[in-house]
Amino acid sequence: MTIESDWRLRHLPDSVQAAAVGAVSRPSWLAVRQALAAFDACSTEMQGPPCVIHMLSTFNVASIESALRFGLRTVPCRPELVIAPLDTLEQQIFDERSPLYERPGIATVVFWRAEELLADFFWPLSRSEIGQGQKRIDEVCQRIRDLAEAYLNRGSAALFLSTVALPVACGSGITGLKVPGNLNHAISRINATIFELNATDSRLRVLDLNWWAAREGFCHYDTQMDFLARQPFTLASAMSLGLFLARNLRPLLLPRRKVLVVDLDDTLWGGIVGEDGIQQLKLGHDFPGNVFLRLQREILELKNQGVLLVLVSKNDENEAKEAMAQMPSMLLRWEHFACHKINFNHKYINVREAAEEIGLSLDSFALLDDSDYEREQMRAFNPEVLIINDRSDALHMLTSLLQSDGFDAHYISAEDRSRHREYELRAARTARPVEGGIEEFLSTLKLRAKVEPVGRDNIERVVQLLGKTNQFNVTTRRHQIDEVKRIISQSGSIHLTLRLTDRFGDQGIVGVLLAVAGSEDASLLVDSLLVSCRALGRGVEDVLWAEFINRAIDSGAQRVRATYIPTPKNGLVAGLFDRLGLTPITRAGNGTEYILNPLKRIAWPAWITVQ
Amino acid sequence: MDGGDALRDLLIEFFELPKTTQREKLTQQAIAKWDSLAMVQLITELQLKFKIDFALNEIEHLRSYADISDCLRCKGALRNPDEEE
Repeated sequence: MTIESDWRLRHLPDSVQAAAVGAVSRPSWLAVRQALAAFDACSTEMQGPPCVIHMLSTFNVASIESALRFGLRTVPCRPELVIAPLDTLEQQIFDERSPLYERPGIATVVFWRAEELLADFFWPLSRSEIGQGQKRIDEVCQRIRDLAEAYLNRGSAALFLSTVALPVACGSGITGLKVPGNLNHAISRINATIFELNATDSRLRVLDLNWWAAREGFCHYDTQMDFLARQPFTLASAMSLGLFLARNLRPLLLPRRKVLVVDLDDTLWGGIVGEDGIQQLKLGHDFPGNVFLRLQREILELKNQGVLLVLVSKNDENEAKEAMAQMPSMLLRWEHFACHKINFNHKYINVREAAEEIGLSLDSFALLDDSDYEREQMRAFNPEVLIINDRSDALHMLTSLLQSDGFDAHYISAEDRSRHREYELRAARTARPVEGGIEEFLSTLKLRAKVEPVGRDNIERVVQLLGKTNQFNVTTRRHQIDEVKRIISQSGSIHLTLRLTDRFGDQGIVGVLLAVAGSEDASLLVDSLLVSCRALGRGVEDVLWAEFINRAIDSGAQRVRATYIPTPKNGLVAGLFDRLGLTPITRAGNGTEYILNPLKRIAWPAWITVQ
Repeated sequence: MDGGDALRDLLIEFFELPKTTQREKLTQQAIAKWDSLAMVQLITELQLKFKIDFALNEIEHLRSYADISDCLRCKGALRNPDEEE
């Protein structure tokens, strides 16, 4: 567990960083308390958004609440942990008036462990019904399914089910392993059930406590505390658990990094192509080439998860290209990279240019580079870029990449997986020379839009877009799924998604508009209007707006109100409503309110066919 | 080995009490915050601070400054009163 190089703390004052590092490196409850007080003293903007997290547990988590809260502070957020009474899972989940449903937060976390869930499995030969082990496992699995189903029927927040860790305080179990339904078998069946459940509903997530405990080792367990207070963790492991919990909850609050910038020499292969020559480069199944090969494998996996790769290297482009093509073990190919910057310019300038070409801001970028100088320069000039490694050693780069949480996501959509292709096509689209104006160029793309209401099939994507779209987003309201459901179920609301296809392929859902009935008669209020940065400049917003206004007229609405709320990133849409013909009513620092009255039917842009 | 006041200072800081609080007032009965949850953390804090482990039968008797200091002295983690300055 390390926090020294945690990039999320860098925006905090030195005293807060020092208190946080002290609490982790020399844990004591007083140090934890001091660190929490230091966080509390920061401005609310620095602390992050407030969030309520419910916790249900079969063991005592109340006594480590401050350690968990400390971990969650690093999200960053202002967590309020609502801890249910010990071992009251059914009472909380089956009761519709429970705080889980009366005051839902961003997540409900269920911790359980073998000591309570599987108490009778610890002594299988002492059970009255020896041989009934399989049946008992089935019963426990069914209990878990019932709890999950009941929660999902009532609750709206994400449900994190922990896996069950192998217990420390039990015998070696060699003899017991022959008994049908022994403890280890039961735990593996239960964890399998939890993973199976995880695939059935997008609100369900696995908190893999078993994985965490395996990484912590047996020393995470405190026998004394377990018998004294039914609290099984040492202080150090409670701190680690808090940070692990933060890592699991972070994707609910923060978008992942979308771009990985990688260097070539001594990063994707060992050696320097311009000096050593292709034959001398180290890449393959033997040491040390196997480290670089594994690094490439991990980077390729990130690409397949939707992370865009950008190649930035101080090299001769032809030489680099030739090396990539000729080395037989090379996993990453030239075309795997959405953008190439092989030249002798400053890398921070190359990265800025790549950000502009791709259309993403620098805080979507991460860097993997063996050069201390280049990393330091990037940190100085592009501080928004996440630096993955802090040493030049290839093995360190590999472990840093494996441990990085910058690319964590609970849900990877089809759009995410095809993102690389989309950006490749985007480059092709923008590179193609067209005579005439922009509309003529757009016409050559054969754009087709399909506008549909928000519903069961696309709500996940809508929530994802609301959560991560920064630039073309008029209000930047980060609604969670329950809020979107509330909006679309409101009488009179109009809620639209737009799927865009062009001659290069399907770009998926790239636009969202949510509007609710206003407080005055026959008016509609635009809650959110956004377009994914992958589809900017195509007229998507014009189609969405035309469709919205035409449907508003059909529904009997007479006027539309909208607000532009400025953020550091959405200057792109500062004049959108003016362009769409709305009249500004009030302009203030926190936004501009607009009205459109009366409503008139609008034609779709000529270059887009609307289905 | 640590001085006798180190225990007093720790209890005062842990329970957020006035710095002038007398040792005799440092009892579970007198301190509202000294509940079972705080006790769990206090044991960890004492073990870390004085680098000792309490036996289970010792833990249930740790109810005041006097109880804790007696226990720490038995373990050689605190000076005897006549050794104090």
